[in-house]
Amino acid sequence: MLALNTLRGIRVVSAPHILDAATWPAHVTALRIAPDDIFAIAATEADAAEVEAADPHSIVVDETGFVGCWLDQQELEHITRHIEWHAPSHRPALVQGYVAGVPAKMWLTNELSLLLCASPYAAELSERIS
Amino acid sequence: MSNRRIVVDGQPVAYSDGDSVATAILRGGEHPKFGGTLCLGGDCPNCSAEVDGVPYVRTCQTPATPGLVVRRHPSTGNPAFPNVVQADITKTPLADVVGVTRSEVDVVVIGAGSSGTAAAAEARNDGHNVLVLDARDGNEVVAIYGGPTVIVRQPTGMAHIHAHQVIVATGAAELQPVCPGNNLRGIVTARAAEQLHASGVPLPDAVAVGHLPAGVPCVAVPGRIVRIEGNEHGAVTAVVTADDHGTQTTTACSTLIVGLGFAPRDLLARMSFGLPVTVVGPAAQKFALPPCPTAGTVCPCARVEVEDLEGVWARGFHELELVKRASLCGTGTCQGSVCGPHLQAFVAERSGATPALFTARPASRQITLSEAAADTYTDVFRYSPLHDEHLALGAQMDRFGGWWRPWNYGDHTVEYWAVREAVSLGDVSTLGKLVVTGPDAVEFLERLYPTTVADIKPGRSRYVLLLNERGHLIDDGMICRETETRFVLTFTSGGAANAEMWVRDWAETWALQVNILDRTMSLAAINVTGPLAGELLQRVGLAEPPKFLQHRHTEVAGIPCHVMRLSFTGEASFELHHAVDQSVSLWRALMAAGRDLGIKPHGLQALFGLRLEKGHVIVGMDTELDSTPRRLDMDWAVKMDKPFFLGQSALARTATLPDHRRLFGFTMPGAAPTEGSPIWSEGNVVGHVASSFNSPLMGHAVMLGWLKHTPFPEQVQIDGRTASITDLPFYDSEGRRARA
Repeated sequence: MLALNTLRGIRVVSAPHILDAATWPAHVTALRIAPDDIFAIAATEADAAEVEAADPHSIVVDETGFVGCWLDQQELEHITRHIEWHAPSHRPALVQGYVAGVPAKMWLTNELSLLLCASPYAAELSERIS
Repeated sequence: MSNRRIVVDGQPVAYSDGDSVATAILRGGEHPKFGGTLCLGGDCPNCSAEVDGVPYVRTCQTPATPGLVVRRHPSTGNPAFPNVVQADITKTPLADVVGVTRSEVDVVVIGAGSSGTAAAAEARNDGHNVLVLDARDGNEVVAIYGGPTVIVRQPTGMAHIHAHQVIVATGAAELQPVCPGNNLRGIVTARAAEQLHASGVPLPDAVAVGHLPAGVPCVAVPGRIVRIEGNEHGAVTAVVTADDHGTQTTTACSTLIVGLGFAPRDLLARMSFGLPVTVVGPAAQKFALPPCPTAGTVCPCARVEVEDLEGVWARGFHELELVKRASLCGTGTCQGSVCGPHLQAFVAERSGATPALFTARPASRQITLSEAAADTYTDVFRYSPLHDEHLALGAQMDRFGGWWRPWNYGDHTVEYWAVREAVSLGDVSTLGKLVVTGPDAVEFLERLYPTTVADIKPGRSRYVLLLNERGHLIDDGMICRETETRFVLTFTSGGAANAEMWVRDWAETWALQVNILDRTMSLAAINVTGPLAGELLQRVGLAEPPKFLQHRHTEVAGIPCHVMRLSFTGEASFELHHAVDQSVSLWRALMAAGRDLGIKPHGLQALFGLRLEKGHVIVGMDTELDSTPRRLDMDWAVKMDKPFFLGQSALARTATLPDHRRLFGFTMPGAAPTEGSPIWSEGNVVGHVASSFNSPLMGHAVMLGWLKHTPFPEQVQIDGRTASITDLPFYDSEGRRARA
């Protein structure tokens, strides 16, 4: 069974143009899950200082509500059997939709890819794709 | 002959390499279905049998493999349903999991015959990516859906192929005879005879009517078939033919080969109307109809006789679709592939016009439920981070509002008393939670809610209704003001997703400067409720719990929490919102600290009763789609003198109109009636019970219910007993316990 572990980071919500301009440390994986919403994995609130400076009303909070796991190419191919939509071929790419009937996201890169979902869906997703 | 065998009705049957199951059975001197014309082209149901536990398998399309278990269907009636033993009906039945592969191509060509091959070549020449599918290659197309999407059964599972264009090149099927005796054993079509002869299957004493099979030794018999005669074992013994003058001739035979013409093999084409599907070759050809049938079995699937059709026609069903539905001719597994031309001929002779054949439906072949359900999933229900804690405490879990939630932990009355007299924990992680910030946050919320928002001080909260433009209640919850420009909104568990969309839509519509973050699934929440709740929180480090309708961020048991003081149960209540990964630790710390205070968890069953005693409505349970604040007696939550809020104009318009609907509280001696029970007055149904509860404290039933006729009666009958309208709340009308 695929182990889905808590992904720690921050959520940053602000105007799209402010998030467009944001930069992140190399160790951070910043997923733009909506035009006004970034889930920055492995980031801390300090990493969002420039966003907060640009928008004093931005929302920057610790985020532990996602779980996920990194997949090699073989594991990714296994997962893609459980999706009905067409995954893009370009990399990197963030895709969001049902995986095995569970709302999920995938961060596709040329090396490892990340499968993640909101933690209340973790048990179902893990069971369905195993 | 190889030494390999299949097992037919418990008996090993040897087969040769390349044999289908049907061929192997015929080689062994039997018939796969005891009788009926065999086409061996997959068009008719006359070779269908149970194969490895799957009924209605066309054995002519199924390769024989060692040990394959075949059970022939009964000669009359239907195969028995499988004996399914499902001891625990709460568990999902286990079945074979069938995988799905998905692909996209420009053009799918179904059929690798000459017309299909030509169509594929042409499409390739036009630069298209082409995929050719043929059942003989293990790619059995069973359906074409919108898209178009072609569903293919393969030896390894199902394939869902998305194409821009589909070309159906499935050829033509041979006509089968409709006459007395056409259910006998020993009748084959010309093509089937050619196949069997090529496979070395003997065709003893063969005679042929119609066009002759190529290379098959047989005696040609002229004329048309009048009837087929057989012996007591159901085997053919002779064919009776007639010439143009009606002179009949009887020809003895053991094998009757019929070459009666063709009909388009158009089952897939008939399920593709309106889709980008092209039919080519014989599948698109208009063949001559057979003579109108006068006797015999027309539809071997549903066992419909010509006399059945005549009876239907005599009763006034004079269109092909009506004849089909009234007689069931064409409703069987081959969907008219065999009976269709005969049915058309039957109607054409009587109506004077040739009707089109009916629409076919997926699947064109009998597929298993596992194949049909391949890679489809049931709705997903979310798990609270405390799910395992609930299970460990003996909770009965059930699905509410898209979540698995504890219904009770064994005895909801015990849980009820823990709330009323001690302290209890409830898992309210499922509540909707939004953060709203921005310079326009106050303006935004003022427009969104019918309450006044600007006067909520930071650190304070307020109960709010969420109304739509018509003034109907769509959700409720709390507004917690954190700073001048930052708010936390809560919503009901079941309404949270819609509420989030509602909030975001209006933020965009009004183009106000607000930021919105949904934290519903990032934050868990535990409701600490009961007269000893404050004492419990002090034990775990919250020296000064917030006062009623106050909230603040602080640590509880060392865990950062947003503590909101409110009350849904009627007792002092503190919602502790916290990160989901801290939830188990917090729950356990609270349970441990409250052990000597009589702490117990409570589930929804107790909660529904507790809130009912306080008269708190549950949106969607007590409310209807057009419930206004007035109908709910909640005008107190609406400030009509605000400049604007959603629903305001509708409420203003309807305020002066008579309204015949109102939610009331009711009490009644004895047991609580079933929710949904009708409410009677003077012999008429005047409403229904929305919620009911046996109040342990009051010792009688308490209810919320709708009255929908004015004048509203003071007493009504529910469940055969007299119930009284009672002012709400039923419990602690001054709210002292909630504020304590």
